[in-house]
Amino acid sequence: MAIIERPAEAPATTNRGSAPTPKASTNYGYLRRPVETTGWRSWAFTVDHKKIGIMYGAVAMFFFILGGLEAALIRLQLAGPDGTILSADKYNQMFTMHATTMVFLFVMPMAAAFANYFIPLQIGARDVAFPRLNALSLWVFVFGGVFLNTSWFLGGGADGGWFMYAPNSSVPFSPTNGVDFWGLGLQITGIASLVGAINLIVTVLNMRAPGMSMMKMPIFTWMAFVVQMLLLFAIPVITVALFLLMFQRSFGAQFFSVEAGADPLLWQHLFWIFGHPEVYILVLPSFGIISEVLPVFSKKPLFGYPFVVFSGAAIGFVGWGVWAHHMFASGLGPVSVAVFSVATMAIAVPTGVKIINWTLTLWGGKLTFTTAMLFAVGLIVQFTIGGLSGVTHAVAPSDTQQTDTYYIVAHFHYVIFGGAVLGLFSGFYYWWPKVFGKLLSEPLGKWNFWLMIAGMNLTFGPMHIIGLQGQPRRMYRWTEFRAGEGFFNLGFWNLVATIGTFILGVGILLFLINVWITHRPNSKTPPAPADPWDARSLEWITSSPPKEYNFARTPQVSQLDEFFHRKYEDVGEGDKHEYVQKMTGEEVIQFEEDNADPNIHLPAPSYWPMVLAFALPVMAYGVIYNTLLIVAGGAIATMAMFGWALEPADAESSDFDPPVEGDETSKELANV
Amino acid sequence: MSDSLISETVKDAVQIAKDHNGDVHEHDVHAGDNHSDDHGGHHTSLGLSNTKLAMWLFLGSECLLFGGLISTYMLYRNRHSENLGPDQLWDIPFTSATSFVLLTSSLTMVLAVSAANRKDLRNTKIYLGVTALLGALFLAGQIYEFTVFYREGLGFTTSLFSSSFFTLTGFHGVHVSIGIIMLVAMIGMLSKEKVSGDEAEAVEMVGLYWHFVDIVWIIIFTLVYLIPA
Amino acid sequence: MTYDLNMSHQSPTTKMQAVETTTTLRSVTSSRLVRTLVACSLAALVAGCATDAPQDTWQPKGPNSQMINDLDWVVFGIAGVVGVVVFSVLAFAIWKYRDRGQPIPEQTHGKPALEIGLTILPALILVGIAIPTVGTIMDLNETADTECIVNVTGQQWWWEIDYPVQDGCGGIDEPIVTSGQMVIEAGTKVLVRGTSRDVIHSWWIPSLNGKRDMVPGRIHTVRLEADEPGIFAGQCTEFCGLSHANMRMEVIAMNTADFAVWKSNQTQDYVAPAVGSLAAEGESTFISQCSRCHQVDGLTDSNDELIISRPDQNVWSGAAPNLSNLMTRNTFAGASWDLLSKQCRPGVWDADPSTIGAAYLDGVTETCLNEVELREWLRNAPAKKPMYADPELLEETDGLVRGMPYLALSEDQIDQLVAYLLERK
Repeated sequence: MAIIERPAEAPATTNRGSAPTPKASTNYGYLRRPVETTGWRSWAFTVDHKKIGIMYGAVAMFFFILGGLEAALIRLQLAGPDGTILSADKYNQMFTMHATTMVFLFVMPMAAAFANYFIPLQIGARDVAFPRLNALSLWVFVFGGVFLNTSWFLGGGADGGWFMYAPNSSVPFSPTNGVDFWGLGLQITGIASLVGAINLIVTVLNMRAPGMSMMKMPIFTWMAFVVQMLLLFAIPVITVALFLLMFQRSFGAQFFSVEAGADPLLWQHLFWIFGHPEVYILVLPSFGIISEVLPVFSKKPLFGYPFVVFSGAAIGFVGWGVWAHHMFASGLGPVSVAVFSVATMAIAVPTGVKIINWTLTLWGGKLTFTTAMLFAVGLIVQFTIGGLSGVTHAVAPSDTQQTDTYYIVAHFHYVIFGGAVLGLFSGFYYWWPKVFGKLLSEPLGKWNFWLMIAGMNLTFGPMHIIGLQGQPRRMYRWTEFRAGEGFFNLGFWNLVATIGTFILGVGILLFLINVWITHRPNSKTPPAPADPWDARSLEWITSSPPKEYNFARTPQVSQLDEFFHRKYEDVGEGDKHEYVQKMTGEEVIQFEEDNADPNIHLPAPSYWPMVLAFALPVMAYGVIYNTLLIVAGGAIATMAMFGWALEPADAESSDFDPPVEGDETSKELANV
Repeated sequence: MSDSLISETVKDAVQIAKDHNGDVHEHDVHAGDNHSDDHGGHHTSLGLSNTKLAMWLFLGSECLLFGGLISTYMLYRNRHSENLGPDQLWDIPFTSATSFVLLTSSLTMVLAVSAANRKDLRNTKIYLGVTALLGALFLAGQIYEFTVFYREGLGFTTSLFSSSFFTLTGFHGVHVSIGIIMLVAMIGMLSKEKVSGDEAEAVEMVGLYWHFVDIVWIIIFTLVYLIPA
Repeated sequence: MTYDLNMSHQSPTTKMQAVETTTTLRSVTSSRLVRTLVACSLAALVAGCATDAPQDTWQPKGPNSQMINDLDWVVFGIAGVVGVVVFSVLAFAIWKYRDRGQPIPEQTHGKPALEIGLTILPALILVGIAIPTVGTIMDLNETADTECIVNVTGQQWWWEIDYPVQDGCGGIDEPIVTSGQMVIEAGTKVLVRGTSRDVIHSWWIPSLNGKRDMVPGRIHTVRLEADEPGIFAGQCTEFCGLSHANMRMEVIAMNTADFAVWKSNQTQDYVAPAVGSLAAEGESTFISQCSRCHQVDGLTDSNDELIISRPDQNVWSGAAPNLSNLMTRNTFAGASWDLLSKQCRPGVWDADPSTIGAAYLDGVTETCLNEVELREWLRNAPAKKPMYADPELLEETDGLVRGMPYLALSEDQIDQLVAYLLERK
């Protein structure tokens, strides 16, 4: 274990890059520890939750762009009647992979990025409960995502739609390996999610700073916690479904073969028992993010914190009882339909509670409209639209007219883009200075925001009309014969949606430009102040970016919005409140630094998470191509697991160059 | 409710800080505890060790895995040709015997954990060994049973019943196998003193997993073998 | 260490430029402008819809879709009101509580009474929606009042439609098999019983009822009833593979007399082409090239034995559309292309309810035939409609053809077939 021995006089800030790099020696029988603190190794083999969070985010952003390009191709194809840009086959692959990429490789891992980075910081911990498992989650996700997308080069992507209904997913109907890649790829990323979920749940339950009861946890941590609970129970269900699919396609079983007596609805039930909680897995992290952002820029605590917590948990529970509302047209029988219809309406109540609480948080506040705040308010508006169209689906008879049309496409993009993605962007702008020590440009950020809002409404808004007027989804071409008459016929709206896509694309591009401008070499952007937003929660009671060990000392928590209450004092009397600042954010942080913990142990980096993660796609290729590869992958996995289990807790003295003499306290890894 | 929870008056942060500073740091402060060998038993918010909590969560997740597999089997258990169904294939006395073996292994597992808690290393290893042996015996019984079914014509792809039966019991068998590997590895690590952290807790972790696998088998045995289709 | 609040705002260390940047909603006027814009765009949304879109879900043409639409009005109305209220409150809060230098507000965490009230309110609204919803679900699943049963069978990528022998539908003595277009009597309560031969398809005629998945191995039912004669367009709405976009269907409702004529047309005996005509050559081409998959009732081979189409194991679904009365329908290939030429199409499709039955019964004549697309189809079907029918791809598709393969017909053969098919009415 690396031990950071804090010198008597700690400098207030650390320049990450200038830390002397211990060079490792290789005088040992087994692999030495990758103890570097700079260079690519310091990232590849890190177990630091912050670096892992950043890598999660970077990879997810890559997949966001990929999924966005797929979306652009889809919209180009549909801009006019009888589109010819994509063949039917390519189009079917495109919308399947677009959804799969956005759901499993962008929104989920991006939420994992935020959860990884901020849960330990928000609860006053130095890392997650299992740092090496955390690294494993990351690399399993990365390799799984790459594996999934290699299908493009190996005969084509999956083409059954993201919910991959049986029996259309069987070999005779989808003869390329696309569906195999899809099933195995999701199986792999599922492992990442499951391991991550266990890790983060334990972290939240067990590693809270002294004084931080569950009901004093920052709301983002709460929502992320609910999400991890959902993942814990949802992932095994899709795992079963994907195993059945794999046995069906690769090993001759007939779980979905109707001619053998199978019931195709089995897949639908398994998929949606996973799939509906999945929807909340996608949006709840963003709900958490804006529940942090709105209070900060309203200078007011979240209105009804316990209600928001309980409504989040309620959504988590009730979310398990509504899966069949995806199947109102499947022929379930009127009683089931009625029950699920009513249950679905019930889940609108806790969702409504959230919107009400956000609005009341703004009410009576002192609002500043930074980009982060704009995205947060944008989320409320856009998600409300998605929520209201969601209520129209809960009405099962109406849903039979709406499902599988563009109306449903409009609905879930307002929920997932308007709910999840806008929240993530709010989080980018809000926490960027925390993570990278620099503020993103606000003027550019506002362009980014307004273009994204305009773009998304132009893209997805018309889809309400297109859908209600009868255009089904997942069609590689539409025909003028069914597009109606008049200037505002469906052709017009399809074209508007396509134009909107490109406006949306420019908006997102501005974000990337913003990042580039802020961080390019010779960038004039100054370092961000420690507390740029006058924030309220625990993650800000440390330097930006935080040091490896997060907190100079483990913070003592006495209330919700701890940071705010350390900065401000209520000097009013009785019902009259008057808040005066008694300390600046810098002073609070400096105070912590001045009273630092004497010794801080940090876990040592490790190769094994990455090696173990690498074994999974090898085995998956084996399932598709050659059994020998399964054996090879299994061997790598076994080796990695033994290496992992036998890896000593501390990095050996000899891992360092020059080898460290004497007792372990002299083994400094980080320059404090 | 929310009022009581929150509107606490703003406390003097300096005072809090002073109180906090007054704490004597008996232990160094950790980040994560997968490397917890030399500092076992430090503070957690729930007072339950991280690894144990993680195992409970994992087993919770496993419940849904087996739930899905069992549901699939229950849906398909009557979908087989006339002469290759449970009525023709099941050998209840034999499976009862192997089930009894597996249940007995739970008892020896309990004894191993109790020995580990007494720091009785020798008996711990013996009981772990017996547990692994009983597990292996069960597994051998299952393999034998599969072979018999196969000879009678029931392959993995023969019918929906056979596919879902082999999938369900196969998954369980894999879990038992992993359990045996864990038991053997535990014996090896105890012998070479390679266990990181609290040894008794490590044994207890394996025990939790083993009991879970046993309980799942009781459910499978009841639903698949005992209740007539 | 204690600062006056306003002073702290000037403190360069606590206050970032970023926070001070002007708010986006600058003034009262701009916020009003925004609201006006929102109101206008809502109006534009309503006015901005296509007129006469054939699959418009908001133009019910039968009692079942009417029931759904009645519910739609309630739900959309409530959702609209809730939306306006939420957005108004939000807009007001944004305008009213912008940072104008007011002091830090009270750090209140909420008012439980208000919260509980605001939780109960949406719950009550939803109860109000739930009650009519459950009632409508039950009504839409009623089958006891059925007056006519029609079976549909989905397959990649067309619908087979058959009328079993029954007293319903005004009496059917001999099974009728057709495809793509379902003919019913207006005002009759039809129960569609559906299944599939391969993957899941979904039967959806928006102006008559919501959609219902047709699942292989199961039979699902859906009610259909048209108030007046007319053509009602529909589309398969469960993704069903490669040519999902090319799987359409129509329901044609006609009055009692016209429907009786249609039924007798469908069951009349086979009329062989005149000897020596082009159509007669077409008949033998049909027998050699098409009859393995396509049934024409009454067609006999050289031994005078009835030809029964038996698509062999290489065809996944084991069926192709029955062409006995092809020219009585006016679409082909999964109802994706018109058999009627562009000139003649409006004469049938846009006919008013009183004449539409007769117009439809005229069928497709030589002058009205959409010969261009029919020939394209015969020339190379998979090029027109993507299908797993390419012999080169057979290996990859497990050797199973879906849809019509490329038959390498000569132009002469195509002429003959067109002539032959024109007589199938």
